[in-house]
Amino acid sequence: MMRLQDILSPFYVWKRAFEKPFSIAVLSAPRPGSPTYRGFHQNDIDKCIGCGTCAEICQNVSIDMVPVKEAQDGDSGLRPRIDYGRCCWCALCVDICPTGSLTMSNAYTWVEEGLDRDVRETYCYTPGADPQPWDDEALGYRKPEGYELLHLERVPMPHLAPGERLNSFVEMVKGYSHELAVQEADRCIQCGICTATCPAHMNIPAYIKAIREDKIAEGLKILYETNPLPGVCGRICTRRCEDVCALSHRGEAISIRWLKRYLTDCASAEDYKALLESEIKPLDRKIAIIGAGPGGLSAAYYLAGMGYAVEIFEQNAAAGGMLRYGIPEYRLPYTKLDQDVAQIAALGVKFNYNACIGRDLSFDDLYNRFDAVFVSVGMFEPYRIGIPGDDNAKVISGLQLLSDVTNGVPVDLGRRVVVVGGGNVAMDAARTAKRLGCEVTVLYRRREVDMPADVEEIEEAREESVNFIFQAIPLEIKTADDGSLSFDWGKAEMVQQKPGERPQPILIEGSRENIAADTIIAAIGQGVNYLWMDGEASAKIELKKFRVQADRWGRTADTKIFIGGDMFNPTADAITAIADGHRSARAIDKMLNPPREN
Amino acid sequence: MENLYPPIVDGKSVYDLDSQKYLKMWQGPQHPGVTGNMSLELDISGDQVVKCKAHVGYLHRGFEKLMERRRYINCFPIVCRICVPEPDTNEYLFAAAMEDLLGLDIPERAKWLRTLNLELSRLASFVMWLGGQSGAFGMGTVAQWCLAHRDYVLDLFEEWTGARIYHMYMTPGGVRGGLPEGWDAHAEKVLDGIYKLLDEIRHVMFNNAIFKQRAKGLGVITPDMFDRFGIVGPNVRGSGSTRDIRKDTPYLIYDQLDFEAVTEQGGDVYARAKVRWREVYQSIDLIRQILKNMPRKGPLHITLPNVLHLKVPAGETYVRAESTRGEYGYYMVSDGSEYPRKVTVRGPSYTHAMALLEHLAVGVNTADVAGLMVSLHTYPPEIER
Amino acid sequence: MQELLDNLKELYALNGITLRNPSLAWAEVTPERLVGLLTQLRDAHGFTHLVLMTCVDWLEDGRFQVTYLLHNYTTRQDLGLHVYVGRTASELPSIHTLWEQGRVYQQELHEMFGIYFPGSPGLGEPMILESWDGPPPMRRDFDTRVYSEETYSHRQRTHHEPEQHMKDRLYPED
Repeated sequence: MMRLQDILSPFYVWKRAFEKPFSIAVLSAPRPGSPTYRGFHQNDIDKCIGCGTCAEICQNVSIDMVPVKEAQDGDSGLRPRIDYGRCCWCALCVDICPTGSLTMSNAYTWVEEGLDRDVRETYCYTPGADPQPWDDEALGYRKPEGYELLHLERVPMPHLAPGERLNSFVEMVKGYSHELAVQEADRCIQCGICTATCPAHMNIPAYIKAIREDKIAEGLKILYETNPLPGVCGRICTRRCEDVCALSHRGEAISIRWLKRYLTDCASAEDYKALLESEIKPLDRKIAIIGAGPGGLSAAYYLAGMGYAVEIFEQNAAAGGMLRYGIPEYRLPYTKLDQDVAQIAALGVKFNYNACIGRDLSFDDLYNRFDAVFVSVGMFEPYRIGIPGDDNAKVISGLQLLSDVTNGVPVDLGRRVVVVGGGNVAMDAARTAKRLGCEVTVLYRRREVDMPADVEEIEEAREESVNFIFQAIPLEIKTADDGSLSFDWGKAEMVQQKPGERPQPILIEGSRENIAADTIIAAIGQGVNYLWMDGEASAKIELKKFRVQADRWGRTADTKIFIGGDMFNPTADAITAIADGHRSARAIDKMLNPPREN
Repeated sequence: MENLYPPIVDGKSVYDLDSQKYLKMWQGPQHPGVTGNMSLELDISGDQVVKCKAHVGYLHRGFEKLMERRRYINCFPIVCRICVPEPDTNEYLFAAAMEDLLGLDIPERAKWLRTLNLELSRLASFVMWLGGQSGAFGMGTVAQWCLAHRDYVLDLFEEWTGARIYHMYMTPGGVRGGLPEGWDAHAEKVLDGIYKLLDEIRHVMFNNAIFKQRAKGLGVITPDMFDRFGIVGPNVRGSGSTRDIRKDTPYLIYDQLDFEAVTEQGGDVYARAKVRWREVYQSIDLIRQILKNMPRKGPLHITLPNVLHLKVPAGETYVRAESTRGEYGYYMVSDGSEYPRKVTVRGPSYTHAMALLEHLAVGVNTADVAGLMVSLHTYPPEIER
Repeated sequence: MQELLDNLKELYALNGITLRNPSLAWAEVTPERLVGLLTQLRDAHGFTHLVLMTCVDWLEDGRFQVTYLLHNYTTRQDLGLHVYVGRTASELPSIHTLWEQGRVYQQELHEMFGIYFPGSPGLGEPMILESWDGPPPMRRDFDTRVYSEETYSHRQRTHHEPEQHMKDRLYPED
């Protein structure tokens, strides 16, 4: 049934003839993308660290990491190069960028000249490095507020409460449970930027992955590839890896150290045993190692693994060096150290305790009896404060206190203790004194920010009510009438002497203050003891500024003598010593080049 | 009529092309009357279709296969590409299936924003369809109006999500951001324009004698065909059914919105067009309701475990949503690894464009085949995935 | 749902019944009893809507899992049926007589996985893969990456892995 209205109604379209058209003049007036448009990429290449996470998440394989800068700690020097023949503009690369350097402009038109090239090579550029018209475009896609693909916050590590800690030397960091460890390991983006910074170049992403996948035995094996003291390092490593962690740029670094500790804590005896299963073919070569600290232990482990007959000579009654005698038990339980040492001993390494070279044995004897000698005696000679009265019997060294506590020697510090220094030894001494029931004050020459000690240690010392006096220069120690000590110090001001250098503390004229103490603990650093360089054999070794000269493999001027550890490297921490030991072990092997079947 | 049909030998019709009674005609794969790229192989006698065979395969990109080799997060940017005019249903369903397997509940505000996104996307798809339907019956003017207005909706998407077509907005765990400043006012302006457009379409299309003549009685779907052919969405609502997933098994915050399923009687092309035209009104109303009632503050997204190595617990699930074509569904199977074992996309066009169209086209005038096909609202990419 | 499955369990020897949520359940049935079960579900229990039919390739177990998902519009419930079939000479009964779209699904599964459904109309005709002569491509042992590398030419990547690159630059000897 047709109606007249149905015939007329369509003519309604004619009214449009008098209206403005929908179309816009795109060519004469290009239409800009919206303020959050996902257009061509921008990259702040100074902020970018070349972690490659953008390339990892790109589902189209449109991002290649290409060298743009020199590689350095925490920066691979690589930068993302984007192929717009593949890019699908999903912006997941922007969303996941750990530093936040990668963004997108709202530019969406790009005419490339020179299309006589292979079409697959065109429309590629490295944002930030290859100039583009939209480099300074302020508008475009940024990761929106409240949307985050990464977990930027650390899984908190359970600690003993400060009150509980002071009663004992029980380890204060409780360690991650399985659940927490997996959660923390899950945060890792596996970029591997940390590996280069670790002195031992541990394969950090691989063992974190093993934790995530709950493959403990495999993880432990990865640890031992580069570090035979993982139980120790899992507790007290200076963890420079965490300083460069990609996640630390916008959030908190992965707790790499605690994850390592988790691996060694939950590895079973079987897991450890499994490490020893590969067969070692004994070689007819003998190596002597002086000092059973981390450097010596590390060298021993790798040399023994290669088949060498290794003997360690240690002046103390137990192995570990500074790990045992310089680090208090609440940070590193002796059982953990013993476990790592036992694993090394299981390879057939022979330990000679109470054997001080230069006192109990002569270096020449070792030199002649062994095919090579690795020296890693550490720095056990504490510096004195260097003020009048520092020879008082109640002025002891931090190291003295720590090793006495380790050895179970009764210590009487009195009630009031003053610690001089701002490094880790100072913190350890102060906190040990605190656990012995003393009131402790730390005197440091510079400001808090200048303290070389670990930030966590300073915080924990605070929690344990250790007092701090900063910019305090020791002046004189006197004995008071009641037999206690009277310690004079003066206030310092920080003076920038040369531009670019760190400011020096200068005593404010006439400033003199006094603090009473029953014991003063000096913890201002240690030097090397050269007792071992006694005979003829060590004559070739060169000393410069009281340090033995060697190349990066620890090779001294005498081809048979290698050195490593605190006496050699400038950072003087356990992980560098371990790396030294490993490196020298390979150098020794190369030097001796023993015949091997295949 | 009956002597048009060829003899049947061994269960198959035999057409003697030499008899000059039959002609084989291909409509597609590039044809203005075909939505997307597919083709209809028509056997015609005079002006009448005696047999129709749908051919697909021109848009096969193997999404389901690609997803088997991609991390879950890497599937998120590709799923939207399964449907161009309405990609958001894919995004939503992929995220929803994944969240279901992970046992996650997303923040309230994200649910509202997802609903807004889906509804706006339905609106854009319906407006484009109205253009397609009118174009298939020779009313090119309406088609141009509709495409222009769809572009205004795309402007809204661009401002909001940073992209016009593939918004990639509903990331697993929530959404990628809130609404920008001033968006509501802009949206109101666009909705207003579409509201006026709908009235013009009423004049020009629904009250058009030619359209009425051609569309009424064409391609009738009767209720007994619903389940036999697996027909869903506006195609059943045009035949008097009230099936609408948003109403029947509400997802996101559809249960907090006030609306009724749109239904028309007749089951022909005209009725289906009417349903979709009325659903545009409904979408406009729903968008206004959402903008009025949605929370403006609160979290948008929950951070999943690290997406670079996210493992989804083993299991399988099916989630569905009402797209403009009807039931869209994602069947996801996880074997507990970092990659989906299988994701099957159930696109409504699968049954509409293949089994149903082949059935309905028989006996139809050749010139009406395009209109019939568009009236079923089919998008080939979701057939082939 | 549980009640229904309990009733059908014995009759159709259902296995592996999993209730994912109150309105979605999965169950396993043997190929022999499949058509009977589907017919009963459709005609007697209101599961009138065939939502989808698909196949999951469990390559490691050497079998295909063909899933039939049914929907009940009255109770708004979904029931997914799994049928397992070996990966070689796979054959399942056809359901094209129950649902018209069954034939399309079966055509696709035949093309993409190589499953044979005797009697299904047009089964052997190409649906998507006209002039494809490789193996059924949705099988997991068909490697799309290898295929694409052999078939197409790509831009050479210039990618460096950060970890390896830093080793090469900073400590090549270690």
